[in-house]
Amino acid sequence: MTTASREKKRRSWFKEEFGDPERRAAYYMVLPALIIILLVAFWPVVYSIWLSLHQATITALGPFVGFENYVEMFQNPDFLLGFRNTVIFTVVSVAIEFVIGLAIALAINRAFRGRGLVRAAVLVPWAFPTVISAAMWRLMFQDQVGVINYVANALGIISQPILSDETLLLIGAILVDVWKTTPFMALLLLAGLQVIPGEVYEAARVDGANVMQRFFRITLPLLKGTILVAVLFRTLDAYRVYDLFWVLGNRELDSLSTFVYEGVRISQLNFAPGNAAAVFIFLTAFLIALFFIKVLGMQTSAED
Amino acid sequence: MNRRDFLKMSGAGLAGATLLGAAGCGGGGSASGELILSMGPDDTGTLPDLIDRFNKQHQGEFQVKYREMPSDTGQYFDQLRTEFQAGGGEIDVIGGDVIWPAQFAAQGWIVDFSDRMPESEQKKYLPGPIESLTYDGKIWGVPWYTDAGMLYYRRDLLEESGISAPPKTWPELQEMALQVSQDTGTKYGFVFQGSDYEGGVCNGCEYIFTHGGNVLDPADPNKVVIDSPEAIAGLTTEQSMTKDKVAPLAVSTYTEEETDPAFLNGDAVFARNWPYMYALAGTSDFPKVKPEQIAVAPLPVGEPDPTIASTLGGWNFLVNAASDMQEEAWEFIKFMTAPEQMKYRAVNATLLPTLKSLYDDPEVVEAIPVIKLGKEAIQHTRPRPVSPYYGDMSLEMAEQFASVVKGDTSPEQAAKTLQSSLENIIEQAS
Repeated sequence: MTTASREKKRRSWFKEEFGDPERRAAYYMVLPALIIILLVAFWPVVYSIWLSLHQATITALGPFVGFENYVEMFQNPDFLLGFRNTVIFTVVSVAIEFVIGLAIALAINRAFRGRGLVRAAVLVPWAFPTVISAAMWRLMFQDQVGVINYVANALGIISQPILSDETLLLIGAILVDVWKTTPFMALLLLAGLQVIPGEVYEAARVDGANVMQRFFRITLPLLKGTILVAVLFRTLDAYRVYDLFWVLGNRELDSLSTFVYEGVRISQLNFAPGNAAAVFIFLTAFLIALFFIKVLGMQTSAED
Repeated sequence: MNRRDFLKMSGAGLAGATLLGAAGCGGGGSASGELILSMGPDDTGTLPDLIDRFNKQHQGEFQVKYREMPSDTGQYFDQLRTEFQAGGGEIDVIGGDVIWPAQFAAQGWIVDFSDRMPESEQKKYLPGPIESLTYDGKIWGVPWYTDAGMLYYRRDLLEESGISAPPKTWPELQEMALQVSQDTGTKYGFVFQGSDYEGGVCNGCEYIFTHGGNVLDPADPNKVVIDSPEAIAGLTTEQSMTKDKVAPLAVSTYTEEETDPAFLNGDAVFARNWPYMYALAGTSDFPKVKPEQIAVAPLPVGEPDPTIASTLGGWNFLVNAASDMQEEAWEFIKFMTAPEQMKYRAVNATLLPTLKSLYDDPEVVEAIPVIKLGKEAIQHTRPRPVSPYYGDMSLEMAEQFASVVKGDTSPEQAAKTLQSSLENIIEQAS
């Protein structure tokens, strides 16, 4: 494109957007909401980033230190442990939830008696507040009254109390999260399945496609949009995990968010690295979302 | 009018109402003549009783209002800190945890009581609580009630095994625990709080203290002395509890809430806990073990420097520096810490008073058997490190101590790590 034609394109876009009185009115109407979003959502994030470049405490801004907080954060063993736990947790739990959720969605997609009831019942684990279900599961893992701990030790699968071992605790957390959120995944995927017209399957059957072919060549591709949305939601949620780890581990299980909480709320001197970690979470979550949209081609609007 | 005008009017009306409401809520703060006391929940009902008594006496002058705070001391601390940072807040008198005075005093948020609490006054109270209120050479409040870690044991199980006296040293405890639990078929020998939280710090410190070690130098709170043979010996003892199977590995997840059922349901021969547990024995929640079956003793001591000690817990009265009712606050505190009121609370809530004289009062001693049995233990309490940055230190210590109990870190490693991280905190703080 020559410079002249690029100029013309820019000018015409501007004229198109703001020259037209109706479109201009639309912008005016959206403006208040936009300002509120900027104030409430953007401003704290920008201020957080600004704070993270200083030696900040709760009471004072402190001197400018550039990226020192981030360097400190990456050297902090608690942060690295939390990061490792969070990544493992995110990848494993979302993968398991996706597989099981898809299976459940396919199962309840066909009409059968009591389907409405099953759909409602399936949602019950997800309806519990996370803190409550985490406390409940912690009791089940506990050494004195925990049924799971008792059975696992009796069967010889493990030989120590679950809550005392970090790896077992992480596995327990993944288990609880799968229990809690698979229904949510299942329902999201179910919604996507229901949009697929039945004729496509009929045509495929006529053409002689078997179950596997129907699943991989028809269901999955047509479901791609929904899958990406569901997986992105769950990934971002799992990445930010805090209440599950905090309550299930009773402070002994670290994640990125528990590191932020400890630094910003409990500790008095670790405010700066905690804040830096919060900015880190924000930036990486943003990158994950960007990855899904740009690379995996997730649809973000009806025009795509 | 048409729909458009109606919508415009109602929109403006709604906006106006919201603004008015927001402006109205902006005010607040205590009404004049009202003294606000903040404290965690009181299950016994004695605190509201005492406040009523005070209010009746001071009708027409000023009244005291009890503002209930979270039962979790960490959350309570957080709320106070938030209010202080915002410029003081409305609370006048604070029922404060023993680990708070230095942290608040360093920021100038509480009132200096040095002139109201001269040596003569201080002598009336137990030394441990006074020490916890002392920072920077001044005293920052008045002691209220106290707590000390003690050794509980099943007297009947020991007798069954042929032992008539509780252990005096930690190795003795381990031997007895293993022997008695085997003889009587009890599940656990010993249970204590080893989880990653404040109670874990209390327990860990007790091991350090009873072996002759310290976390901070008592003479100079800016000097970290935890990397010493005594402290390492203490942590080694703590680790050997789980390593040698005297205590179950699960104690690394125990808080007081898990210790209570373990001991009071008859599953443990020995337990380390605060005085309150005594009152729970034989109640409807824990009917299995009766008070006659248990007894209390001071914590055992260790080598190389045997010292009788236990961690100090408890609550003090502090006054908000931003309060404009400081004289009235002092009136109220004088009332609450008078022997009569302290005795009332001790007898009815079985909480340990801080006035030395009450420990010779027969009425008090009868009401709280733990006092009779644990009198010595209470006299030897030691506060946790008194520092403005105790919160951060507590986080580090809790993590390391819990790791030692679990067996993930060696005592030498933990002591070294704590030495450097505590020094870091003190350095950063200055």
